[in-house]
Amino acid sequence: MAVTGPGTGVAVTGSTAGVPAVAGRRPVRARHFVRLKLRVMGNNLRGQGWRIALFIGGIIAGLWFAGNGFLILAAPGFVDSEQGMLLAAGFGGTLLVLGWLLLPLAFFGVDETLDPARFALLPLPRRTMVTGLLVTGLIGVPSIATGLASLGLVLSAALLGGPLAGAVQLVGVAAGLLLCVLGSRAITSAFAGMLRSRRVRDLAAVLLAVLAALLGPLQLLVIGGLGNADWDQLAEVAGILGWTPLAAPYTMGFDVVDGRLWAVPVKLAVTAATLAGLYRWWSRSLESAMVGTASGGPARAVAAASGTPVSQLFPRLLTRTPRDRYGALVAREVRYWWRDMRRRANLITVAVVGVFIPALINVGGFSAFTYDPDGSLDVGLTASATSVSISMLFVGALAAVTLANQFGFDGSAYAANVIAGVPGRLELRARVVGFSVYIVPLLVVISAGLGLFLREPGWIPVAAGTLFAAYGAGLAVNLIVSVVGAYSLPETSNPFALNSGAGVAKSMLALVAMVASAAAAVPIVLATALLGEVWYWFALPVGVGYGLGAVALGLYITGDLLDRRMPELLATVTPRR
Amino acid sequence: MTSCGGVGVAVVPGYESRILPQRERIRGAGSYRRTMTDAAQPGGQALVLRGLAKRFDDKVAVAGVELDVPVGSFYGLLGPNGAGKTTTLSMAVGLLRPDAGHAHVLGHDVWADPVRAKQLLGVLPDGVRLFDRLTGAELLAYHGLLRGMDPAVVDQRAGELLDVLALDDAGRTLVVDYSAGMKKKIGLACALLHGPRLLVLDEPFEAVDPVSAALIRDILQRYVAGGGTVIFSSHVMAVVERLCSHVAILADGVIKKVGTLDEVRAGRSLEEVFVDVVGGRTATGEELAWL
Repeated sequence: MAVTGPGTGVAVTGSTAGVPAVAGRRPVRARHFVRLKLRVMGNNLRGQGWRIALFIGGIIAGLWFAGNGFLILAAPGFVDSEQGMLLAAGFGGTLLVLGWLLLPLAFFGVDETLDPARFALLPLPRRTMVTGLLVTGLIGVPSIATGLASLGLVLSAALLGGPLAGAVQLVGVAAGLLLCVLGSRAITSAFAGMLRSRRVRDLAAVLLAVLAALLGPLQLLVIGGLGNADWDQLAEVAGILGWTPLAAPYTMGFDVVDGRLWAVPVKLAVTAATLAGLYRWWSRSLESAMVGTASGGPARAVAAASGTPVSQLFPRLLTRTPRDRYGALVAREVRYWWRDMRRRANLITVAVVGVFIPALINVGGFSAFTYDPDGSLDVGLTASATSVSISMLFVGALAAVTLANQFGFDGSAYAANVIAGVPGRLELRARVVGFSVYIVPLLVVISAGLGLFLREPGWIPVAAGTLFAAYGAGLAVNLIVSVVGAYSLPETSNPFALNSGAGVAKSMLALVAMVASAAAAVPIVLATALLGEVWYWFALPVGVGYGLGAVALGLYITGDLLDRRMPELLATVTPRR
Repeated sequence: MTSCGGVGVAVVPGYESRILPQRERIRGAGSYRRTMTDAAQPGGQALVLRGLAKRFDDKVAVAGVELDVPVGSFYGLLGPNGAGKTTTLSMAVGLLRPDAGHAHVLGHDVWADPVRAKQLLGVLPDGVRLFDRLTGAELLAYHGLLRGMDPAVVDQRAGELLDVLALDDAGRTLVVDYSAGMKKKIGLACALLHGPRLLVLDEPFEAVDPVSAALIRDILQRYVAGGGTVIFSSHVMAVVERLCSHVAILADGVIKKVGTLDEVRAGRSLEEVFVDVVGGRTATGEELAWL
């Protein structure tokens, strides 16, 4: 390529001008990574008030966690309990490390501000990359919060064992923090290749939904179990954990307090060995995390489709549905509630919580679980028809609130319905029916199951009646909320990702919707409470009728509203960068 | 609106003013609407945009667009990135509510009489997802039934479209796993399925490989030869020059140049005219000496 500079009359040929002169190259240091991360974080927040608010909210949440952690871990020092310190150090440390290792997998990557894949094209030596990413990992709300929380252990150690214990624990806490960050990075890099596949992420999302739904009952179980805990046994377990890399750095201070100074260098060695191993593992897996993002993975052999397109659209469940506009809408909804991972995760959450909440409300707390000497479980029941009714009220409201942002699930794909000009009432009716195909059998199972579990089959109609009334009322309320209060969801397959800021406010809206739906079905609960045994005969038909009536009313009101608002609704649910 | 109408018509030589006499258009909205029913006659306008405007927060995306797309034409809407092409087309088909202005499809106001207008339209929008958790065949069936078509007709046409567009080996792959080119093709198939009279395509050739592009070109040309009208947006000159009978250049939210392809080119290449109209720099001069 010959370039003639105007006025110079000199042609510079490609052979000499082709290779750009390499100016004196300066080595890249970790501080460049730090500056890059801070700049990216700053730019992310720029100009968007609610993002700054959310960031500050995140900082506050981090400080809250740090403060609580600090108090919990420092408490043994204040109450002068050595066993307490062992327990706190052992279990606390394990929980911290496990949390750092596993939660990033759940949220599909640690802190994507500096995604390793973005460095793939840069000529950086591996050691620079690893050091840089490690340092940036230490700067961030989670790691600072973890560090602050674990300082509580330092305080405990200092109070119980003097300054030496405190100093040793400080070293331990620092090593532990490094362990957390390095471990989480290593694991996400190693899994990076797998996490890129859509199918794996979809499956993981479902598993996560189940785990998240179980989290609540699990917490209650743990707290309940703490009442009857055998502290000595637990202390032994904590001691064992203290020798594993999971809690080794955190229990070093306790060893000084306990007088076993020889244990400290050993645990330091264990921690150092683990750190070295993780460092090497991460260095190697970093490359797999960096490259390979461009391709979509190996092409999988695809099964051929059978049947005509229309028959493919309609699942076997819907063979009797008419093949018209309404039928097509229902068929797509039915398919989507199973195939779209976000929706499926919500369904599973409803199913799991729907089973646990009634059990919790009707079983009078976990102190009611007592063990007979012969090992059988006695359940202290405090249930009555009214309490069953109330629990069903919440389950129905919860089931319906899944639809609170139903258009948000579709996102910009809703444009297809807008272009085709689908009437509002038809669209909403089809969505309700599509959702109910999954929910109604579930509700039947829940009400029947509860009645049998409580050994009161006579209450099943009451339970079912309240449940359907609450579900119907909830649908009516949530139809309105879904049209008026819709918001966009980000286009990732992570079911827990919210388009930050707006999501927090709108979750409040969902909560309000739940309360409103519960309130709308209160008459049925009142009937159960006041009318006595006579009500048991009427509960089911009245409840179902009430629910259907509520849905019809909701459709009537919201249908017109939707007709007027279709483009605005589309604009609201389309995610904007 | 008066001045906009004047500007939109006056600068373009050879405009077929016998269809919408300039005098009558200046008179006002009421008489304009009456004139519109005349335009629904054969040989009239497939798409008429008058004074479409849209503003997003501080930014004016579209500032008064006037457009007349004759029936049977192959209309290209050219413009640089951020000119407002997608916004204009979205307002024209009912996806985005305009702040001001009217859009008429074959005589029917898109916003006042959406049912009739949308029946005549086939749209391939840009920047929106498809219902991608369905397979290609399911998606086509969905769009067909949504338009009120008979299931047997849907089956037959969907099968043909999948075959012609080489999408039938996708089998049970969900659309979300399709490549970008395949997504464009299935989107086009969804737009064509119900046999619309006006096709509005937003960037139909983006990310499409040359073979598929040739196929899409052939389909569109047959469609126009059979009496349909196509308006599509693009920022690739070669495609527009090859296919279009009429061109409109959109920049900064207004139409800068409009007319038949020959009128707009006026003897030069379309690229020169475009650069002239849109402005901007096309040569580096003395810089980048180290390159």
